[in-house]
Amino acid sequence: MAVYESDLPGVGKKFEIDLDGEAQLVVVIHNTGKRELFVRDSPDADSEKLFELSDKLARQVGTIMEGAYFQPIRDDEISTVLDDDTIIEWAKVTDESELVGTTLAESGVRQRTGASIIAVQRGDETIQNPPPDVEFEVDDTLVSIGDRESHTELERLAAGEATLDGAPGGGEPPGDTADDEFVDDDSANDEP
Amino acid sequence: MAATPLIEIGALFVGIALAGAIAQRAGQSVIPFYIVGGMLAGEHVLGRLAPLEIGLGDVAVTLQQPYVSESEFVELGAELGIVFLLFFLGLEFSITRLLESRDRIGKAGVVDLAINFPAGVLLGLALGWSAIEAVLLGGIVYISSSAVITKSLIDLGWIANDESDPMLGTLVFEDLFIALYLAVVSALVIGGGDVGAAATDIGIAVGFILVLLGGVFYGSELFQRYLETDSRELTVLRTVALVVFVAGLALLLDVSEAVAAFFVGMGFSSTDHVHEIEELLIPVRDLFAAVFFFWVGLGTDPAVFADPALVAVLALAVLVTTPTKLVSGYLGGRIYDLDERRSLRVATGMVTRGEFSLIIAATIATAGTGPVMTETIPDLTVGYVLVMSILGTVLMQYADRLWSVAQPYLVDAAE
Repeated sequence: MAVYESDLPGVGKKFEIDLDGEAQLVVVIHNTGKRELFVRDSPDADSEKLFELSDKLARQVGTIMEGAYFQPIRDDEISTVLDDDTIIEWAKVTDESELVGTTLAESGVRQRTGASIIAVQRGDETIQNPPPDVEFEVDDTLVSIGDRESHTELERLAAGEATLDGAPGGGEPPGDTADDEFVDDDSANDEP
Repeated sequence: MAATPLIEIGALFVGIALAGAIAQRAGQSVIPFYIVGGMLAGEHVLGRLAPLEIGLGDVAVTLQQPYVSESEFVELGAELGIVFLLFFLGLEFSITRLLESRDRIGKAGVVDLAINFPAGVLLGLALGWSAIEAVLLGGIVYISSSAVITKSLIDLGWIANDESDPMLGTLVFEDLFIALYLAVVSALVIGGGDVGAAATDIGIAVGFILVLLGGVFYGSELFQRYLETDSRELTVLRTVALVVFVAGLALLLDVSEAVAAFFVGMGFSSTDHVHEIEELLIPVRDLFAAVFFFWVGLGTDPAVFADPALVAVLALAVLVTTPTKLVSGYLGGRIYDLDERRSLRVATGMVTRGEFSLIIAATIATAGTGPVMTETIPDLTVGYVLVMSILGTVLMQYADRLWSVAQPYLVDAAE
């Protein structure tokens, strides 16, 4: 996916985003804050205006699109990329997972996988900065930050495809684990 | 006319608001409507109507039709309009952007200049005008209207298409040229044509501009610090203070206030506050720019367009300079590697002339000597802008129909 940015002197900025095939999405951001959205079926075609939004509305729609209000979790490809190596992902704990019934500290998830759990979604409730003694339950959704490999490992763990046994550093004192988690948590929460 | 000047200002803005509303209803650019609104509301039309007699039984009341006079306030408002129009031009004007695409903007801009400017000068000379009068006409027919064209681009949705690049690029080139042009020509005209005096004036003008340019290049730190404040109110006040003060200073030195405002805008364009200034001051610009166009109308007696000589010159100017812009615009599109159809759109889009032609006529021509400069050129320019702003907007709307007519010729010519 390529995004082309160009200046429109006296107007604002234009962003052209490649869609599937030849089509392009064109977003014109006016200096006044107004956003106009166009779609272009092929490079030679005329841009067809889809709609326009005020600055405020565009920001709201933007956060909705980003998934800040609601994240569909079923798809394991859902993720928020912070930079090339840092991603926020969601993983669901199944009843086959060894995580069920263990606490964050006991499981040593971060040492085992490299991914830091920054929140646990349980039903309608979200446990932010989960304390070390939080106990994992079936159907918990783990929101974690880390690189792609760590996430793959955590997902396998949460799905019950991998075990906690032989986890590297699994025997570390729980206190250490918790501290590390908290340090990571803060920076992760501030970043986006 | 009225007991308090406030009612006069009120009437002025009522007139402007009405003209704007009608323009929007008609799907046209607001500029010609503001001008015509000014003409109708001024002393030449409204002021000439017979007093209204209202009889109620035995009591008869005579009402003198109120008209908007060219008061000091309106004149100052119009001047502020020019200053803010040019200030925003400078604000949008980034040297880095120009340098980034200097090849294409340069080529398209030079083609545009080389075709349209001489056309106006030659026309002026053919009419038997003096060299300086001809150069004024050259500038007036050369410069397309950034305001109208940009608005039409947005209205038609072309802003998201490739044709917006050569159009906006050429406008940037024109704007830079017109800043230099205003500086030099105003010194020439105000110098009264005497070469010696003009040289001194040009010297002062160039000196002043060099100081401003120095400020733009080396003063971005200062500008940045000048605008560093948390208060929106202070940002507005500081910006307006500097712009108006420098523009006033320029006028004191017989340098174009428009040019000074342009350079102050350019100085601000490198700070982090561009967006904030735009957001806060666009309403101020729109307000005073509307007053400027209205004021142009106020000073124009529609009766002058009954003068066959002026109409003949006007018709000649329209007939000569519409095709020249079409050709230069088309070539500009081709320079940007657009196909024939899009290049034709660029051609139709560049036809519109507007605010800058009026600024040349209002600030330079009226300061000159002789009937051509003080009367013919201003009247001609008003008529010319009225025709070209409407013609250009309509041409853009019918560009695709025009394409179906022109297609066989343009595609054949390219082969």
